Amino acid sequence: MGFRQARYDEPFIRDYHSGSTFFSRHEDLPDWLPKELRRETVPIPDVSEYDVIKHFTRLSQMNFSVDTGLYPLGSCTMKFNPKYADKIAAIPEFSELHPQTDEPMMQGSLQIMYELQEMLKAISHMDEVSLQPLAGAQGEFTGIRIIKKFFENAGKADVRDEILIPDSAHGTNPASAAMGGFKTVEIPSNENGTVDVDALKAAISERTAAFMITNPNTLGIFEGRIEEIARIIHDAGAFLYYDGANFNAILGKTAPGKMGFDITHFNLHKTFATPHGGGGPGAGPVGVRGELKEYLPSPIVRLRDGNYVLDYSMKHSIGKIAGFYGNFGVLLRAWAYIKRNGSDGLKEVSESAVLNTNYLTKRIAGTYEVPNGGVKKHEVAVSSEKTGRRALDIAKYLLDMGFHSPTIYFPLTVHEALMIEVTESASKAEIDAYVDAMINAASEPIENLKQMPKNTSVGRVDEVKAARDLKLKW
Amino acid sequence: MSQKDSSEMLNFLSISSTDPLFADIPQTSRINDLRIERGIEEYDLLRKAESISKKNAAARCVNFLGSGAYRRIIPSVVDTITSMGEFQTAYTPYQPEISQGMLQVLFEYQSIISDLTSMDMTNSSMYDGPTALGEAARMAYRCSQGDELLIPSITYKNRLSVLKNYLAGLPVKIRTYNIDPVTGMIDLQDIESKISEKTFGIVAENPNSLGIMDSNVLKLSGMKKSALLIVYYDPISLGAIKPPGDYGADIAVGEGQQLGIHLNLGGPYVGLFSFSKEYLRKSPGRIIGETSDVNGNRAFVMTVQTREQHIRREKAMSNICSNQALMSLAALSYLSTVGPSGLRTVASKTMKNAKSLIDAFSRKRTGTFEFKHNPFSDVMLKIPIEEETLKTKLHDSCIAGGLSADRLLTYNDKQHYFFSVSEATTEADIEYLVDSIGGN
Repeated sequence: MGFRQARYDEPFIRDYHSGSTFFSRHEDLPDWLPKELRRETVPIPDVSEYDVIKHFTRLSQMNFSVDTGLYPLGSCTMKFNPKYADKIAAIPEFSELHPQTDEPMMQGSLQIMYELQEMLKAISHMDEVSLQPLAGAQGEFTGIRIIKKFFENAGKADVRDEILIPDSAHGTNPASAAMGGFKTVEIPSNENGTVDVDALKAAISERTAAFMITNPNTLGIFEGRIEEIARIIHDAGAFLYYDGANFNAILGKTAPGKMGFDITHFNLHKTFATPHGGGGPGAGPVGVRGELKEYLPSPIVRLRDGNYVLDYSMKHSIGKIAGFYGNFGVLLRAWAYIKRNGSDGLKEVSESAVLNTNYLTKRIAGTYEVPNGGVKKHEVAVSSEKTGRRALDIAKYLLDMGFHSPTIYFPLTVHEALMIEVTESASKAEIDAYVDAMINAASEPIENLKQMPKNTSVGRVDEVKAARDLKLKW
Repeated sequence: MSQKDSSEMLNFLSISSTDPLFADIPQTSRINDLRIERGIEEYDLLRKAESISKKNAAARCVNFLGSGAYRRIIPSVVDTITSMGEFQTAYTPYQPEISQGMLQVLFEYQSIISDLTSMDMTNSSMYDGPTALGEAARMAYRCSQGDELLIPSITYKNRLSVLKNYLAGLPVKIRTYNIDPVTGMIDLQDIESKISEKTFGIVAENPNSLGIMDSNVLKLSGMKKSALLIVYYDPISLGAIKPPGDYGADIAVGEGQQLGIHLNLGGPYVGLFSFSKEYLRKSPGRIIGETSDVNGNRAFVMTVQTREQHIRREKAMSNICSNQALMSLAALSYLSTVGPSGLRTVASKTMKNAKSLIDAFSRKRTGTFEFKHNPFSDVMLKIPIEEETLKTKLHDSCIAGGLSADRLLTYNDKQHYFFSVSEATTEADIEYLVDSIGGN
């Protein structure tokens, strides 16, 4: 399709020496500042505003994004980020509000938070939601802290020291569990790509504190035995944790609370379309059921006598997991997305995302191996092994064609994995073009693939050199 | 999705609706409705948001809130740059060839924060200041021996609470050292008596939670033994005062909100995280390195990833995945725009305004500043008025400020309140504040 990314030999910002033009009047330090504290020079770049704008505009043109083209990174849900959400987030009454403002003077922002809490509760069938966690992984860590504190209160923290995690799980799951002081036990998948329930039964014991899973899983397969799994976990006195990374598949179809989960985190930057910022910010609210309500981070926003108030009264709250109330700018965008789409629109989101994925899967299945067969949900993991081509090389070919690549080499359970998630935002024409590119890649001579990409800002990047020479600043 | 696309795809799959695609969900787990309202048009949504926003009375008031987040002057170019869709709607730069823009941004951010703090290395971002401190304490534990972390007796409650959550999975204890109530600075004798072979980390704040620029922090590296010195700093203050790297910090962390990021009720902000190079392999977070491409051109790529969760899983240094990359871009473009003399100006005006505020309160006998040393931007005053009465006066005058010290801090004296200034505060603002509270 004739893709060409911009290519500038853009110097570092500090290599411009045009001199700052921002302040017209300068002030120096007061005489009374003690000498031992005083800094003599401030070694940062000295650049005019015009050079600053040029520099970052050029860099932006060397960056692929959702606004540029299809970005089918599996498990990242790179859907269109609607612009009304940015417009709302820029309203000064929202953006200029200090987090320590007295409640009566920030009723608007509290209302947004309250409504978002309520909507997330409804969507997930959880009893209470905290908006505080700043990303999905922090939501997981919050859940882990809640579980830990629950068992501490029950006098069982020393015994309940294991978290079970499927082998197909996101890396954050075991990392969050370990950060919270738990041992992790890996549960293998069966030949269908789902949790091996017999292995789960064998692994579970009085030491089990929780089982963390995502459903559908990272292969895009729905865990059909989820209710049985929930019973097994609950009978053992443990909790079932829902990793919400794949929520985009199930809006209006099922809900974590309905399936038997006790704790859920949401990735607002995935399912609810907030922009991902080149790596962040995200937001990872956490919902819980039943007695775990008393353990959530404080405060929770409540509506009392027509006023929105911050409630710090939860008896066993783990306290604060972030400096303030969460990434409000992200929460506000998610609020806007949910309001705009509503119950009807969100259900369509999942239906379209799943339809797109199954269409893509069937088209691609003749060329790439699709492990585990059957219906997919929001994403599919295929293997390039039988094409004789490495997933990495396929990925670089796709970049040259003007697409972002899928997530590669994940999940770990699939060899030469390419995990594809086109989301509901892709049109059929775009999916067709993408599938055509993937099919062409599979017959492209390997030596050609190795030369790719050529149409991007730089050619294939030497990662080994980066790790060996370690140059981490200018 | 268009009707045409939908029916063509359904036909291709030989189904007549999407129902069969959800047939694997057990009947008893299905739901039919989301229990929220139906969707609305964009125009109606914008009107609704606009009308809700009007209920935030404080946003248009005179601001004296600070204590960790500040209303500072944000150059327009920063907003323009962070709004660029190519940055805003990208993901983590997993494919370096097509993501050089963001990778160079993050590399420059790492560089500029390392230079600002005079530290060896900086990661590409943490979530916010308090979580950066939590990660710093965990890192110090990995890098040293012992099981005690020393922290100031007076600190923000929210910062302490986050720290405790981050440390909860480790077999460690938190001990406190005293802040001298006369100087408002670290009690050096007390801290020295508490540092032992068991201390794995010492947390020092500068300016500290009482707002004071603390020159005693400069003396800690000589007494730290095998502990790592973690300095929690204010990035704007580094336009004026010595940076953590100049006085022996092993890890320097701070809240980056002040670097061109809107207040946004507390987020998204960015946690600044710098450290000495010997500890690189034990550090958390994403790091970008410079390398070259096959043609020998300069290129950037995520590196030292074997510390991270997607590779190391339960053995990772941290669970962090999504971070605050876009806010790193804001900080980088802010510092690039104001430049050395601009940052000097911002820091100078801030501390001069703090001094003016103290003078104004004292002149009108409205409140007393009780410490011998100077604050940077947060001024704690003794004002002999009950909190409720003070709040009413402030609300009536459309002033945001007057945080009660016993709510904010691990500090118990009543009738102490914080009023914070920035370079944006004017003499008129200060006069208005003092007049609104009135004399006693």
